Amino acid sequence: MQTMVETRNLRKTYSRPDGSTIEAVKGVNLEIQQGEIFSLLGPNGAGKTTTISMISGLVEPTEGDATIGGFSITKQSMEAKRLMGFVPQEIALYPELSARQNLAFFGRMYGMGGKALRRRVDELLEFVDLADRQNDRIDTFSGGMKRRVNIAAGLLNSPPLVYMDEPTVGIDPQNRRRVLDTVKLLRDEHNMTVLYTTHLMEEAQELSDRVAIMDHGEIIAMGTQDELTQQVGEEDRLEFTIGAQEIAEAVFERIQGETPGVTRILFNPPEQLDEDSSVFAPALLTVFAKRGRTALPQILQELDSAGVEIQSVAVREPDLEAVFLALTGRALRD
Amino acid sequence: MRSILTIILNDLQIFFSQRGNLPGLLVIPVLLTLVVGWSIGQIGGGGPTRLRVDLIDLDQSGMSAQLIEDLRAANDTLVLCPLDNDAEDFCRLDDEPLPLERAIERARTGRTSALIVIPAGYATALENFERVVIDYYSLSDPLQPGLVLQSLNAVLQRASTASMIPGVAGALLDNVISAAQLPPLEGETRDGFLRALYLRSQQLLTERPSPVSFRVADSDGSSGSVLDNGFSQSAPGMGSLYVMFTVLGGMSVLLRERRQWTLQRLMALPITRAQILGAKIGVYFTLGIVQYAIVFAVGAAVGMEFGSSPIAFLAVMAAFVLCITALTFALAPWIKSEGQANGLVLLLSLSLAPLGGAWWPLEIVPEFMQTIGHISPVAWAMDAFHDLILYNGGFRDVLPEVGVLLATAAVLFAVGIRGFRYE
Repeated sequence: MQTMVETRNLRKTYSRPDGSTIEAVKGVNLEIQQGEIFSLLGPNGAGKTTTISMISGLVEPTEGDATIGGFSITKQSMEAKRLMGFVPQEIALYPELSARQNLAFFGRMYGMGGKALRRRVDELLEFVDLADRQNDRIDTFSGGMKRRVNIAAGLLNSPPLVYMDEPTVGIDPQNRRRVLDTVKLLRDEHNMTVLYTTHLMEEAQELSDRVAIMDHGEIIAMGTQDELTQQVGEEDRLEFTIGAQEIAEAVFERIQGETPGVTRILFNPPEQLDEDSSVFAPALLTVFAKRGRTALPQILQELDSAGVEIQSVAVREPDLEAVFLALTGRALRD
Repeated sequence: MRSILTIILNDLQIFFSQRGNLPGLLVIPVLLTLVVGWSIGQIGGGGPTRLRVDLIDLDQSGMSAQLIEDLRAANDTLVLCPLDNDAEDFCRLDDEPLPLERAIERARTGRTSALIVIPAGYATALENFERVVIDYYSLSDPLQPGLVLQSLNAVLQRASTASMIPGVAGALLDNVISAAQLPPLEGETRDGFLRALYLRSQQLLTERPSPVSFRVADSDGSSGSVLDNGFSQSAPGMGSLYVMFTVLGGMSVLLRERRQWTLQRLMALPITRAQILGAKIGVYFTLGIVQYAIVFAVGAAVGMEFGSSPIAFLAVMAAFVLCITALTFALAPWIKSEGQANGLVLLLSLSLAPLGGAWWPLEIVPEFMQTIGHISPVAWAMDAFHDLILYNGGFRDVLPEVGVLLATAAVLFAVGIRGFRYE
């Protein structure tokens, strides 16, 4: 398989107004093969957008380089950019123009024109199912419709590679499903390579051939989903949502010592939502256990005897969330 | 180049598709130009408060000096060049001499209001009660004599009177001697008597205040030319003010483009940053020129004069718009919100425009305010427009102003391009 994207020691440092610096991306190395959907998964602020911005030529790397189809994004940026389409997290469209006018403008910027451009715009409007609204201004569209035009604008030049930066943010489940299906279609029917960033584990699991998990500007794990979940073994994850309540350390010791199959326990205490508020986010107790369903009754009994009020219980089989939790000690949504 | 034009056309399409932009671009500037132009015309403040008049004294006599002095006294708006030129070179002589040929050329091209030539032998002719011709060159209609010709006529009338007195007195004397059959006065005695008479009449006319003097007075509003003068101030003035409003408004548009990520999307396309920046500069330069064109079209419709050098006029327009575009790009990196940008547009436009003489001619404010006013690029543009409109100047006359505007633009662009935020 041919390498479509390769990054070497990609690093980005920003200066703060007080003179200090912050390292947003700390030496990322990636290799993405042609025709695969590769996801960058990580919480907000992990460095996903900065990484994708460097690879797409929006942000100059402080150090390192990336190649697209063999062209360096820093030294041969024009050649590299011709191979890629870009779908940013924001709706990067002119709200005063119609869907057709937006697509026609960005098409002209790729050097397209005349009938070829008209045909391509028609195809894409059909592809994102907005042919009937093509002459309406973007600012009259719903969030989901805007997202679809945003995706279409990234596909105008029929690129072999497309970057999608959290393309489902802020849209309803129906439109989200449509976007995810579109992404799969790009790979399956158009043999495109897709670099997809998300903070939603479910999306990464559904779409990706391979996943890189990012946290604090670093890639902490990378591989297929099977390869990643194997890193946390065969343990199930039992998640107990608890009210604004602390739990004594002795309770954890009892669960871990006396319940068969329990390997470790993580406790995220209740969190005050703001300084002046008496409202707390619920605490989350996560118990890792082999054969989690078997261990569940005994754990419930221990918690009940300790006076812990349980609001909900979920039993999760090994997934990317578990990998992230195992590697960072935090949930993806934290 | 094609990418740059595509971006410019797209941005212009967006600008003109927003109905909210039209009042600021079209309706309000047009109304203000008409109202201010008409108002200035009513109070007679639109025309120049000083008139540039070339004067060549080929006689260099005491009597020609007297004529010049009388001319100054008759009309204090006349600046007699090169005699009364000031440190700022109001006469536009560029430290070069003013031979007759050059002075004639200046008058014929309208760079001066008039040329007066006092011929050699002027004093002798007056003393001898002989005919003398003073050449007067001007583009103004001789049937409707302007301030300069009226002043000259008044002064010449006095000079003629002084000359006429000994002539008439000599003839009268001859008649009296003849009637009374007295021995005739001849030779030096007669000449001496008549010279004494002439000198006395000269003295009396000099000591007495001039019977005629001219000043710029309030108009009764019936004169069309006064109305034109109002527009020669209001059209460039309001044009410059609204160029500032329109072009500086680009600060908030650039901010919005970054916020809505269309700028970043452009950067992901196979075009260079220089092309994007060039296109954005092109957009606001075009809008500024369109703004000027609208206001000057109104001026043209009501009969405003544009001078005789359209290229120089376009050069001044382009230099000012470029300067304000550069100011927009120099300030844009520091703007954090659209509210801040809008406030700054109002603050800059409403301070730099009146300071630079967009609302009233700078000539009517004290000298120190005129100096301070030239902090504003508007002052340089207005100086140049006045040179072209009121004095029929050419490209050479406005080169200093165009140079200052372009140099300022270069400095501001250097700051703006260096600090431009793409990310």
